[in-house]
Amino acid sequence: MKARPLREALHRRVGRITEPQILFPLIAVVLLAAMWMATVGIIRLKHTEAEHDAAVLSRELLGTYEAQVVRVLREIDQTLNLVKFWHERNSLQGALSELKDRGLLPPDLVFSVSIADRDGTIVESTRPLGGESVADQDYFRKQRDGSAILVGKLPAGATGDGKLLFSKRLNGPRGDFDGVVMVAVDAAFFVSGYDAAKLGEHGVLGILGTDGIVRVRRSGESMFSGDALDYASVLPKPDDADAEPPISRSSWDGVWRWSTAREIYGFPLAILVGLAQEEQLAAVQRDAFRYLSWAAAGSVGIILLMAVLGRMSWQLAQSRLRESESKLEHARRVEYLAYHDGLTGLPNRSMFSKLLAQRISEARRYNKQLAVAFLDLDRFKQINDTLGHEAGDQLLVEVAARLQGCVRDSDTVARLGGDEFVVLLPEMEEGKQAVIVAQKILTVIGKAFTLIGHEFRVTASIGISLYPQDGEDEQTLTKNADIAMYQAKAEGKNNFQFYSEKLNANSLERLTLESSLRHALERSEFRLYYQAKRDIRSGRIAGMEALLRWEHPDLGTVAPMQFIPVAEDTGLIVPIGKWVLKTACLQSVAWQKEGLPPLSVAVNMTARQFSDEYLLQDLASILEDTGMNPQLLEIELSESLLIHDVETTLRILTGIKSLGVRIAVDDFGTGYSSLATLQRFPLDTVKIDRSFIGELVGPSEDSALADAVIAMGKSLSLTVIAQGVETKEQAEFLRAHACDELQGFYFNRPLPAYQFAQLMRAQTADISYVGTRAGLLNPQL
Amino acid sequence: MKTAALSAMIFAVSAAGVRAEDIVVIVNPAAKPVSKEQIADVYLGRSAELTPIDQTVGSSIYVQFYKKATGRDAAQIKAIWSRILFTGRGQPPKQLPDSAAVKKSVAANPNAVGYIEKSAVDATVKVALPLD
Repeated sequence: MKARPLREALHRRVGRITEPQILFPLIAVVLLAAMWMATVGIIRLKHTEAEHDAAVLSRELLGTYEAQVVRVLREIDQTLNLVKFWHERNSLQGALSELKDRGLLPPDLVFSVSIADRDGTIVESTRPLGGESVADQDYFRKQRDGSAILVGKLPAGATGDGKLLFSKRLNGPRGDFDGVVMVAVDAAFFVSGYDAAKLGEHGVLGILGTDGIVRVRRSGESMFSGDALDYASVLPKPDDADAEPPISRSSWDGVWRWSTAREIYGFPLAILVGLAQEEQLAAVQRDAFRYLSWAAAGSVGIILLMAVLGRMSWQLAQSRLRESESKLEHARRVEYLAYHDGLTGLPNRSMFSKLLAQRISEARRYNKQLAVAFLDLDRFKQINDTLGHEAGDQLLVEVAARLQGCVRDSDTVARLGGDEFVVLLPEMEEGKQAVIVAQKILTVIGKAFTLIGHEFRVTASIGISLYPQDGEDEQTLTKNADIAMYQAKAEGKNNFQFYSEKLNANSLERLTLESSLRHALERSEFRLYYQAKRDIRSGRIAGMEALLRWEHPDLGTVAPMQFIPVAEDTGLIVPIGKWVLKTACLQSVAWQKEGLPPLSVAVNMTARQFSDEYLLQDLASILEDTGMNPQLLEIELSESLLIHDVETTLRILTGIKSLGVRIAVDDFGTGYSSLATLQRFPLDTVKIDRSFIGELVGPSEDSALADAVIAMGKSLSLTVIAQGVETKEQAEFLRAHACDELQGFYFNRPLPAYQFAQLMRAQTADISYVGTRAGLLNPQL
Repeated sequence: MKTAALSAMIFAVSAAGVRAEDIVVIVNPAAKPVSKEQIADVYLGRSAELTPIDQTVGSSIYVQFYKKATGRDAAQIKAIWSRILFTGRGQPPKQLPDSAAVKKSVAANPNAVGYIEKSAVDATVKVALPLD
């Protein structure tokens, strides 16, 4: 158990070593250390080798030199002995020439032999000795008393053609002193074996006497004589004769040399060989310098390489890091997009479902309530269609911001798609709080929006469901809030509704309605009914209004009030509207062919139809396809629709008018439109709203209002039609006030096509038929 | 010093005196012809195929000969032969006192080679190489 943390720590350490910022400097240090250690080691080794080589060479040179010197000395000694022998045997003058002729003397080139008599006078010489007598010479005096070979000295200083003099005593017949035999040798001869290839320019080769006086020494081309050395210190001790020669500083020129000397057996001489340290090690020094340069270059190379590798590796690590970061960022983005609405940045449906499920389980655990509020903008589709998607999107973004502004942080606003939003209120003490929030939302949504430079007002419908009473799971709560929202719409929009069981039933009905409405056209469940418009004076049918009826196979006849809003919301109104137009036109043409009088046909048009971009195209093709006289077709539009966007309306109305189609304003008087606005539109007819007609028999101020409305229509030179005339009193009033046409249940309820055809035929044949129905109006007919 | 100055003077005088005199390399009449390179090798101790015979060291003919045959002066020749002698690799050429002695020695030895004044040449020897 204890070993594990230790091992982990070790692993961490090792792991850290592999990080580039540590690894590459480490490698560099190791390589540099190895290289420098190797370099220094090699240099040391070479140095030691060179020293050893120098020592060996020194000893070899010493051996060779000794052999050469010994041979030469023997020859000299032999010559001395020969002359001595000859002299003592023959005691004749001319010994030298005799010996020379016989080739017994060494070459004249280097050697010269002389004989002096007992007085020191030179008596014979192979070459002139430069003087007649040697009597005052030191060696001469010494030979008088001894018999050893003597070796002369040279004056201290540079030695050019100085000669070393070897001498021996000559005895007379009785052994008395009879002179001296001398061999003079060029001093240079003894060092002529100097080999610059081995000894260099500062090596030394030389002969010194046992007296410590250097006879001749040579370094390079220079030869010197006469230096006094400490003989004992120059000669190695007998026991370490084989040891490597010591290095010492020469007393004469201060050069450090491995030097050694050896005494010559049988002669008062020793030889000296020295190798200059600087020269012998020069090659090694050059090598050492070269190795150091290489090592330095190598170091720079290693450092650069490691720097480059380190940097590359670091960059690689960085780019990997960036890559993984960007992947992570991408993953975050994908996740964000998966759970958020791209347009508003609000949580989307998936996120909302998760959150709701989570909140439900929390509420369950802590015994709390929560509310789900569904919100749908009331006129969003219209705005999107008339102002374009960009404006629609702008509106949604603004709505999202406003919604977020009026809830608490703990609440959630999500967008489910389109113009559907949902607000989740997870911390509820009681239902009242939901009411407060809903009101607040309606207020903020109701404030004006500025879209593409125009001010707009929209309203919202809100449906609220509560946990736990309206559902204990996410799906039920969502569905019920949706139902409540539809109810709010049905209640006239711009309000909020709480879910109730009853709502659920209504909503189901609506859902059924919506789904069957989708099939109603293809199953030919729609019918057109026609309601007559009568001339207010003659009572004759002046025209008709086509009214849509839906004959549902299960529900029976469904009133337009019930299904038109659904059709409007779902967009089904557009194909239905086209069907209505086409059917009305076909019917009118058919009747005319039958010989019935050409009567105008009015067709209602909803806001959605009116804003449909293909309206004019569709209208034109219907007119063409059916062969309908455009003058007989009248489009009825609600007044409130006209004043919504005056410029657009004017454009569309002008388009309709250019096709030759007449235009009627429905529900006239409710839209508060100004006279000035109406004057701009190419209108043909105004239809006074039934609310004015219903009040005609009430207080006088109401009838004054109706009077004013009629007058207004008249002043625009339009045909004025009164709608929803139900009673005789109303009809009387209208006739008195110069209304043009009447329409209403009082005269004719809407009839199916075949009944309406009968009505028209009857009027053609017998006017009194109409009279019986409208008798109260026209008793004289 | 005195000796050196004296010998230098002698050398200068005799060198001038011999200028008119050409030197020739002589061999035994029975000997094969030799080249200048062979002569140089023999007198510098680099070859032992012939037996060289010298005139007196430092004499004008000696100096002239070595100058012409080897391109070296007397001191250099001495150093070269000293080294050969010291290291035991050979003996310097035998010296004879005059051209007559040289001629005689060459005439007596078929392997010998020597040098004398051109004027001293006679039938006993053969001119192997004129030195100009």
